[in-house]
Amino acid sequence: MFYRDPEFGSRMITLMAAAALVTQFLMVGQRILITNIRLFAVQSFLLSGIAITIAWFQNAQHIYLAAALTFVLKVMLVPWFLKRIADRMRTQPEVQPLINAPVSLLLCGGLTLMAYLVAQPLTLDLKREAGFELGHNTLAVAISLLLLGFYLMVSRRKALSQVLALLTMENGVFLAAISLTYGVPFVVEIGIFFDVLVAVMVLGILVYRIGETFESMDVSKLRDLKG
Amino acid sequence: MKTFLFPIILQAVLVLLLAPLVSGFIKKLKAHLQMRRGASICQPLFDMTKLLRKDMVISEHASWIFRITPYVVFLTTLSVGLLVPLVSIHVPLSFMGGVLAVIYLLALGRFFMALAGLDTGSAFGGMGSSREMTISAIAEPAMMLAIFTVAITAGSTNLSQMVLVGQESGWKFPDPSHTLAFAALFIVLLAETGRIPVDNPATHLELTMIHEAMVLEYSGPYLALMEWAASIKQFVLMTLLINVFFPFGLGTDWEISSIAPSLMLFTVKLLVLSGLVALVETTNAKLRLFRVPDLLAIAFVLAALALASKFLF
Repeated sequence: MFYRDPEFGSRMITLMAAAALVTQFLMVGQRILITNIRLFAVQSFLLSGIAITIAWFQNAQHIYLAAALTFVLKVMLVPWFLKRIADRMRTQPEVQPLINAPVSLLLCGGLTLMAYLVAQPLTLDLKREAGFELGHNTLAVAISLLLLGFYLMVSRRKALSQVLALLTMENGVFLAAISLTYGVPFVVEIGIFFDVLVAVMVLGILVYRIGETFESMDVSKLRDLKG
Repeated sequence: MKTFLFPIILQAVLVLLLAPLVSGFIKKLKAHLQMRRGASICQPLFDMTKLLRKDMVISEHASWIFRITPYVVFLTTLSVGLLVPLVSIHVPLSFMGGVLAVIYLLALGRFFMALAGLDTGSAFGGMGSSREMTISAIAEPAMMLAIFTVAITAGSTNLSQMVLVGQESGWKFPDPSHTLAFAALFIVLLAETGRIPVDNPATHLELTMIHEAMVLEYSGPYLALMEWAASIKQFVLMTLLINVFFPFGLGTDWEISSIAPSLMLFTVKLLVLSGLVALVETTNAKLRLFRVPDLLAIAFVLAALALASKFLF
């Protein structure tokens, strides 16, 4: 049956990875903060789908747990938390990027191409030496998620959208980890997940404080002298 | 002769009937999502039959362009409807051309519609025409790049050939680049059919309208033709999206035994896609006119990436 065929798994993984890339591009082009948070949730959902697929085709039990953790934390808990902060802040709903959307999109297109070029020799080596196929295209997507996350972090002005950018970067790292190594040891995984959770909590409180003090989430205001 | 005419007639009837029904279905679904009851699915058909029986008022400044445009627009979209695979892999008019003919026939209709908007000299018509042209200038390249991505996989721009290759390779057909191309083409679909992030199909008098502004001067049977053409265009683009990216279960010939199950499956896919469109329309707000190019830039970059990654991998 086709759902036992490893090549089918590889197809599904690359398809879902490409869909995650699409959500990342939508985040670059989208200006409404709430929609950005929803897109992050969708991206994390795709990621947990990839994790489940890898677990199924590799018979790796602990990746199921990683997928479940991704779902609970990144699809439900973190977006809910960020949305709550955004509601409480009651600032403008738009994210105000430093660079306008069409230029950002073209730059991000270039970054993605670069990621593909960087990943190509790596994946070719892997294919020759280890002979595995599962999700070879995924590394390119993971690198481009990372680069686009960097770009989002640099080009966004508001603290909350920078937190979101950091989270998408983390998604890229997670994707690279599960697609190349089929899951790091479980202790490491748990460590990373709680790291993210704690980071988001701390950053959330920080963002809230910035908002309280400066009545805006614009981080460039932090540079202003007070007195 | 019979085997030549039968597909043309059957597909024409299907396109003409299903297109308004799809518009009605999306409206009904939207109404349900917004906790309203909504009009019947057949309402667009009722509207058009009523319009066809009414008198026309034509501005005295209108030239012959205004009078032939409804026919040009209607006939170009209908012939596009006969150029895409609907329920069978074999396209009725495949000798006329492939996907390039589809894109340029649509462009011809749009060109005449923009001319007619300008023709009467009303302020709204001119606004609508200039907006339509601005948007299509970005949407069209995105659409072409997205379709070419699939054409490269299939090795042909002939739609029958593209669908055939897709069906033969089964689940091996979808490629990561197809995901990007599908997303790009979906955004183009929303823009070309005047759906909510770009244009609001529900309002008739609003300063930001695009399609409605161009057809504002039309009334009676001409308006019916224009509206029918608009719904056929939407139906054809949806069909293109469905059958190019998910060609599974399409009939291989024009025998009733293979068309009937294919039609059933096609309807299911169509309903799913309509649901997606209604969902996007309900959950998003209309973009400001100057933000529309941002959305289309996403489509363009995604389509360009799809094509580029096709060559890199």
